[in-house]
Amino acid sequence: MAVAAAAARVWGSSRGLGRVGLLLLRRSGARGLARSHPQRQQQPFSSLDDKPQFPGASAEFVDKLDFIQPNVISGIPIYRVMDRQGQIINPSEDPHLPQEKVLKFYKTMTLLNTMDRILYESQRQGRISFYMTNYGEEGTHVGSAAALDSTDLVFGQYREAGVLMYRNYPLELFMAQCYGNVSDLGKGRQMPVHYGCRERHFVTISSPLATQIPQAARGPGYGILSIRVDGNDVFAVYNATKEARRRAVAENQPFLIEAMTYRIGHHSTSDDSSAYRSVDEVNYWDKQDHPISRLRHYLQSCGWWDDEQEKAWRKQSRKKVMEAFEQAERKLKPSPSLLFSDVYQEMPTQLRKQQESLARHLQTYGEHYPLDHFEK
Amino acid sequence: MAATAVTAGRLLRLRAAGAEGHWRRLRGAGLPGGFLQPASADGDAAQRRQVAHFTFQPDPEPLEYGQTQKMNLFQAVTSALDNSLAKDPTAVIFGEDVAFGGVFRCTVGLRDKYGKDRVFNTPLCEQGIVGFGIGIAVTGATAIAEIQFADYIFPAFDQIVNEAAKYRYRSGDLFNCGSLTIRSPWGCVGHGALYHSQSPEAFFAHCPGIKVVIPRSPFQAKGLLLSCIEDKNPCIFFEPKILYRAAVEQVPIEPYNIPLSQAEVIQEGSDVTLVAWGTQVHVIREVASMAHEKLGVSCEVIDLRTIIPWDVDTVCKSVIKTGRLLVSHEAPLTGGFASEISSTVQEECFLNLEAPISRVCGYDTPFPHIFEPFYIPDKWKCYDALRKMINY
Repeated sequence: MAVAAAAARVWGSSRGLGRVGLLLLRRSGARGLARSHPQRQQQPFSSLDDKPQFPGASAEFVDKLDFIQPNVISGIPIYRVMDRQGQIINPSEDPHLPQEKVLKFYKTMTLLNTMDRILYESQRQGRISFYMTNYGEEGTHVGSAAALDSTDLVFGQYREAGVLMYRNYPLELFMAQCYGNVSDLGKGRQMPVHYGCRERHFVTISSPLATQIPQAARGPGYGILSIRVDGNDVFAVYNATKEARRRAVAENQPFLIEAMTYRIGHHSTSDDSSAYRSVDEVNYWDKQDHPISRLRHYLQSCGWWDDEQEKAWRKQSRKKVMEAFEQAERKLKPSPSLLFSDVYQEMPTQLRKQQESLARHLQTYGEHYPLDHFEK
Repeated sequence: MAATAVTAGRLLRLRAAGAEGHWRRLRGAGLPGGFLQPASADGDAAQRRQVAHFTFQPDPEPLEYGQTQKMNLFQAVTSALDNSLAKDPTAVIFGEDVAFGGVFRCTVGLRDKYGKDRVFNTPLCEQGIVGFGIGIAVTGATAIAEIQFADYIFPAFDQIVNEAAKYRYRSGDLFNCGSLTIRSPWGCVGHGALYHSQSPEAFFAHCPGIKVVIPRSPFQAKGLLLSCIEDKNPCIFFEPKILYRAAVEQVPIEPYNIPLSQAEVIQEGSDVTLVAWGTQVHVIREVASMAHEKLGVSCEVIDLRTIIPWDVDTVCKSVIKTGRLLVSHEAPLTGGFASEISSTVQEECFLNLEAPISRVCGYDTPFPHIFEPFYIPDKWKCYDALRKMINY
C-alpha cells in the first residue's frame, strides 16, 4: 500500500501512471488499501507533493476563490471559409473542390429547396397531412454529407433531409414517404419527412429530439474535441466534417461540430413563427446570409454558373419535382395488414389474432373505411 | 360540423407567413397557390380529406356557476390557468413555448397579464421541466408544467414515478410536491402518427402517488384542471388535442371545481354499460345511439374522468344494473387501462355479468400514420363488440 501510494505520488494522477505504477496498484487491487488491512492506513503527505488525490481529477489546488465563467466573453469562435458574399477569405482553407462536386452541392441544395416549397404548398391544399421545410439549413446538410463516406451511418433529425438528397435518394421516395404510399420504404407508418434508407446508410428519422446532445460549449465539458462552424458556409462545414472524420477514425475518439445556422422557415406546417420572432430577423437571414446564395456567388465568380444556367436548372428541377409529386399522389396506400408487421421481428400470436379480427371487421364494415385508397 | 371536425383533425394551423428561401420568386404569377393545381375533383388523384371519427356533443349550459361564455377546449384551459394565476400568487406556468401562447394556444395572453416571472419558457428538456416543477412544488409554490405532447413525457418518467409520486410517502409526510400539475396534449388527431397521437395513461396508472385526469369537453376540462391544480397531490392532466378546437360549449367564466376520482354517468341505460374517457366518450355516446336505433338496446354511458384513483363504485354499480360492460380506449389493448377496469369489475360483479367484459382498443402496435382509420377503436368496432355482447 505504501508502495502503491508512493508510486502514485511519483507518477502523478492515475492518468499519468506509467506501466510500473499500474502494476503496483493492480497488485494491491482497486481498493487494496481497505482490503489488505481492516483499518485504513494514514498516509503522511509532505507539502512538496501536495497534489489532489481525487480519482479522475488531474488538476492543481488553488487558494484564490474564483468562479469559472460559464461563457467566455467573446464566445467560441466560428470557423468559416467564405464570407457572406461567397468569397474565400483565407485561400489556404479553400478545399479546392472540383467543379462537378461544387455543382452537386449547389444542385442538391436548390433541388431540396424546390421540393420543400412544392410539398409545403401541397400540405396547405390538404394533399399531404404535414410537412417541414429545410429553408436556411441546407448548407449544414450538404457540407457534412459530402465530407462523409457514402457508407458512413447517419442518424439524422427531421430537418436534415439534404443529407439524403446528397446521397441521391430519389424524389420518388421522398414523395412516397410524405404520401405514405405503397412505395414508401417505411410502410406508411410515420408522418411526412420521417425518411430513412438502409442502402444509403441513413437511419430512419423519429420525431423526438434528443435533449441531451451537448452544444459546442459543453463539448469540452464532456471531454469531446469540439468546433463551432458557420453552417451557412458549405465549405466550412465540409472542411470541419472531413477533418473530424479523419481524426475520429485515426484517433478513435468522438468529435463534436456545432454548425451555426438559422431556420428561415416555420418549424412545420403547424407553426406560424411570426408569433415568436420578427419578420426582419427572418428576412436578414433569407437575404443576407443564405447558404444557397453564398455558394452561387462562389460558383459565379469561378465562372462555373450563370443566370442562364440558373434559369434552366430552376425549370428542370421544378419539373422533376412536379413529376415525382404527381406520380406519388396517384399511388395507392399500402395494405392495412401492414399496420401489424415489424412490431417485433416475428409477429406474436396475439397480434396475429388482432390482424385477423381487423380483416373480419372490414369484411362486414368495409364501406365505412377508405379502402379504395389502399392496396388489398 | 364536418368542416369543423376536419379542421380540428389537424394540428394547430395558423396563417402561413409564406414560403421563405431564396427561390420563393418561383411562385407562378396568377396561379392560385403557386404552380400546384388544386386537388382534382374526381378524388382519384388526390387523397380524400379525413372526416373525424367522432362528433363532439356539447353538454347543456351549466347554470350553477354564474355567467358562461362560449369556449373551445383550449380556451377553457386558458380560463382555468387565468383563474389560478389570479387567485394563487405562487402559481407559475412553464414549459416549451408557453410564453408566446403555446403551440395549441392554451397559454395565450397569460404572460402579458401576469408577467415573465409567472409564465416562462423552459429549455427543450422534459426531465428538467418536471424536475424543476417538483422542486418548485416542494417549496410550497404551485407549479403548472406543460409537456408539449404526451408522446414526449417519457424523459420525465423517472422524475414523475421515482420522485414526484413517492415524495410524500418516502419522507413520512415531511415533504410533498402536491402543488405540481403536469398538463399535456393527448390522443389521436388524424395524422399524428407515432409521436403526436399517444395516450400514455396506462403507464402512469401503475404508479401510486400521482393522479391522472382526462376531460371530455371544455366545461369538464376547466373544472377538472382547477381541481388538479388545487389538489394536494401531483396530478397529470391529459388534454385531448383533437378537441382543442372541435369541442365548443358554454363554460363558466368564474372558477369552479369538478371533483377528481368521480366518474360521471352521462346517459342512463339498462342493458349495457359503456366506459371511456377523453375523446372516446363521444365515440361511445354515438355507439349508444346506434345501439338504441338498430338493436333497441339501452346503454349506460360513463365518462371515467379520473384514471387513478378511479371510481370503482360508479362503474360497478352500473354493471350490477346492466350485467354487461364495454370499455374502450385508443391506447393499445395489452396492459391498457381497460384491463384494470375489467379485472376489478369481474372481481366485484362476477355473478352479475351476462357476458364477458369487452375491451375495444387500439392494436398492440405503435400508432401508425397512414393506417390511423384502421387502427383506432371507432364506432363500428365498438358497435360490433356491443352487438356480440348482447347476443352472447
